[in-house]
Amino acid sequence: MPAIVEVRGAVKDYPLGKLKVRALEDVSLSIEKGEFTVIAGPSGSGKTTLLNLIGCVDVPTAGEVIVDGQATSRLSDRQLTKLRLHSIGFIFQSFNLVNVLDVYQNVELPLLLQGKLGAAERHQRVKALIERVGIGEHLHHRPNELSGGQRQRVAIARALVTRPALVLADEPTANLDSVTGASILDLMRELNEAEQTTFLFSTHDHAVMQRARRIVRMLDGKLAES
Amino acid sequence: MQSLRLVLILAVRSLLAHRAKSLIIGSLLFVGTFVVVLGNALLDSIEEVMRTTLTHSLAGDFQLQSKDAEDALALFGGGGLGTSDIGEIPHFEQVEAEIGKIDGVRYLVPMGVTNATVFGRNEIDRVLTELRDALRDGDTERVPRLVARARRIVVDLSKALDTAKAIADEESYRKNAEALTKVGDDAFWTAFEPGGDALSALDFLDSRVAPLASDGDLYYLRVFGTDPERFVEAFPRFEIKEGQMIPPGRPGFLFNHRTYEKLIKNRVARELDALVDEADDGNTIADDPLLQQRVRRLADQYRLVTFQLEPEDATALTSELKGLLGQDGTLEELVQAFLKVDDTNVRERTAWFYEHMGTRIALHVPKVGDSVTLRGFTQSGYLRAVEVPVWGTYDFEGLEDADISGASNLVDLVTFRELYGKMSDSAREELAGIRQEVGVKALSREDAEAALFGGGGDVEVAVADQGALDVDIGAVNVVGPFERTFPAEETRTGLVLDVAIVLEDPDREAALRPELERVADGLGLKVLDWKEASGTLGQMITVLRITLLTAVAIIFLVALIIVNNAMVMATMDRVPEIGTLRAIGTQRTTVLGLFLVETGVLGLVAGGVGGLAAVGVIVWLQSVGIPAPADELVLLFGGPRLFPTIGLNDIVFGLITITTVAVASTLYPATLAARVPPIVAMRGRE
Ligand SMILES: Nc1ncnc2c1ncn2[C@@H]1O[C@H](COP(=O)(O)OP(=O)(O)OP(=O)(O)O)[C@@H](O)[C@H]1O
Ligand SMILES: [Mg+2]
Repeated sequence: MPAIVEVRGAVKDYPLGKLKVRALEDVSLSIEKGEFTVIAGPSGSGKTTLLNLIGCVDVPTAGEVIVDGQATSRLSDRQLTKLRLHSIGFIFQSFNLVNVLDVYQNVELPLLLQGKLGAAERHQRVKALIERVGIGEHLHHRPNELSGGQRQRVAIARALVTRPALVLADEPTANLDSVTGASILDLMRELNEAEQTTFLFSTHDHAVMQRARRIVRMLDGKLAES
Repeated sequence: MQSLRLVLILAVRSLLAHRAKSLIIGSLLFVGTFVVVLGNALLDSIEEVMRTTLTHSLAGDFQLQSKDAEDALALFGGGGLGTSDIGEIPHFEQVEAEIGKIDGVRYLVPMGVTNATVFGRNEIDRVLTELRDALRDGDTERVPRLVARARRIVVDLSKALDTAKAIADEESYRKNAEALTKVGDDAFWTAFEPGGDALSALDFLDSRVAPLASDGDLYYLRVFGTDPERFVEAFPRFEIKEGQMIPPGRPGFLFNHRTYEKLIKNRVARELDALVDEADDGNTIADDPLLQQRVRRLADQYRLVTFQLEPEDATALTSELKGLLGQDGTLEELVQAFLKVDDTNVRERTAWFYEHMGTRIALHVPKVGDSVTLRGFTQSGYLRAVEVPVWGTYDFEGLEDADISGASNLVDLVTFRELYGKMSDSAREELAGIRQEVGVKALSREDAEAALFGGGGDVEVAVADQGALDVDIGAVNVVGPFERTFPAEETRTGLVLDVAIVLEDPDREAALRPELERVADGLGLKVLDWKEASGTLGQMITVLRITLLTAVAIIFLVALIIVNNAMVMATMDRVPEIGTLRAIGTQRTTVLGLFLVETGVLGLVAGGVGGLAAVGVIVWLQSVGIPAPADELVLLFGGPRLFPTIGLNDIVFGLITITTVAVASTLYPATLAARVPPIVAMRGRE
């Protein structure tokens, strides 16, 4: 079974004035379907940088990142965008819902961008997913009418609605209290088990790490796999 | 398709979410559209009204003019008096043959314009002329009456002479006083009794006394020649106000009614009319020193009434005035007192004037039914005088109060050519015959000018030079002006200055122009549309359009800058949102579209409301009309009030412009937004 993500010797440098900051150094990693993997490490170790490369919002300075069979450094912005739309679901630390849209519309948004499903099928899928993440009664509320946990549930639904090969989450519980964070993580774990959705997320929360199936440890831009 | 729907939803939601911003930009776009739609509708209405008015009154849909012309036609003014060279078209029949056969051409109206002077004779001249006629006809009933009128004028002249004493040199004062003393004596007037030497008395009055009266008015008139029959058919706005149209095959003159009322009319009547107008406008004599001055001057004009009265009318009027004013005095004193009107009686006195005085004097000199002697210089510089009957007065419906059209008086084409200096064949032959019979009196230029400007009596002048055949026919005419005829085809052939083309269907103006130009070119003519041919008036529309466009351009420039700034700021605020959209798979172009659609929708909505508001205002104006703020604007408004209309094209044009401006002003902020990288979504927002 081919890996969904293949990172081979990835290097990422950030310019800092005249100097360069090396955020990633020779990182190689492979993620396969159905994984529920946590990237752990102290602040500044390069977790976000790695997720950005895998999430196709950034490309490596050297080395290769292959997502869903495509080497991202060879893709145009247009192709990268397409890859993000069709293969990846994002769950953000600060939820990043579109404030002018209600819950339903936020979840529907990636489907509309894809334009693949007909109205009936779309409606069915959006409704079902919103029920599934437990916010069925808030269908037509705006994000600012919801609590942090509820918002993150909407974000999860939005990330999953296109049935992506990979769901990325950079510190999904950082803005939530520990109880809510735990329930969000339980939800992701349930979805992982029920639908075989592949999850890759970062955290430095130990409670989160305990729920992971695989932990990838980072330090100073390098992998210290366990 | 789905993403377009999404873009629309997002755009509308964003607009609603940022209400303050949308409202500010929206009102700006609203005002912009309102001004554009309203301004355009008004201008279109003015243009349409003007088009109908002008094409139906004088201009036609097109005008033909010689290619050699130095100046463009200015049918409704613009060219200086007689100074412009609008060229000549030597053979109207050729134009009729060639242009006339083009499909879609309905009428060809030959035209020409020139300038002439006309005397409104002074009263003593009039009386003496009538007296001479009466003596010649042996009209024993009229002679004593005219003598009585002449005596009254002479008595009055003696009074005027005393006031002139200070300015006249001694020698001429002495001579004039002598002459007046002589005619002040009853013995002088016995010459007019049966058996007296009436003619030498008359000569004395003519040569020594008449010149003492202040000169009669000299009017400078713009005279417009055409084929009267064709003109009436081609121009539906033309209407006869008094008298009748010039009959076919006859020479004739029609006063423009406004000229007739404002220039030719007895000054007392005119001033009373004007004072009533002032009263109608709410201006009171008591509060206005200028009006008070006018009233004083009006009273000084009493002679314009008294000199014209027949003896029995003078007696009757004296007693009527005594009754009205409740005071005693001579006729002169009474009329003067009567004319000192005030705010309380100006209307009654004016009505009384028309009832009791207007019926006893000639209100217009010359008047409809008279014949006038038109004088002017021909193209080659010769003096010409042509006597023509005044058949009536006319105006163009809707333009009664317009100043510019008031300048043109109408003559038949043959008379026009005589004034202008090109004669028809029949006139030439007629003249040659007369020359043999009578011989022509040749005059020097000085004599001619003296005759033209001296205000003399009945001297009709003919000028000949170096045997040229350029001699006036009216002067040596043997039949009276009302009896003269000429072959009707003379107005259909020969020289004209310009030709009006009236189309079957005015909407085909643009379609027919190339064909007209092609044929006209072969005839050495150029084609002008009604706007180009109308002079300053036609340019006025263009000037108005440029003004509107400038105003609109400024409004839009301001809108552009404001919308641009507001949208740049909005983009800054929305960077995280845009980043999120980009991260979850929205293409750059979609983001670009999102911003453009946003202002586009706003433009359409605000523009739609602005357009509707403009429609509302126009509909309201349609029912009440916009009054022309000045007489000069009557022509522009096609009448005293403009009733504007609005077309779908005005609204569509406004909407398209405003939406374009809105979208254009968002181009820069939209590209900024499209450049937001998806990575910004990954940054925490603590
Ligand atoms: N855009 C950037 N420009 C310059 N340096 C950057 C940039 N993004 C990250 N870095 C640097 O790269 C290194 C790795 O940062 P990264 O954000 O990946 O760490 P992290 O493990 O996600 O930390 P945290 O747990 O605080 O989120 C850090 O030293 C950071 O300062
Ligand atoms: Mg991080």
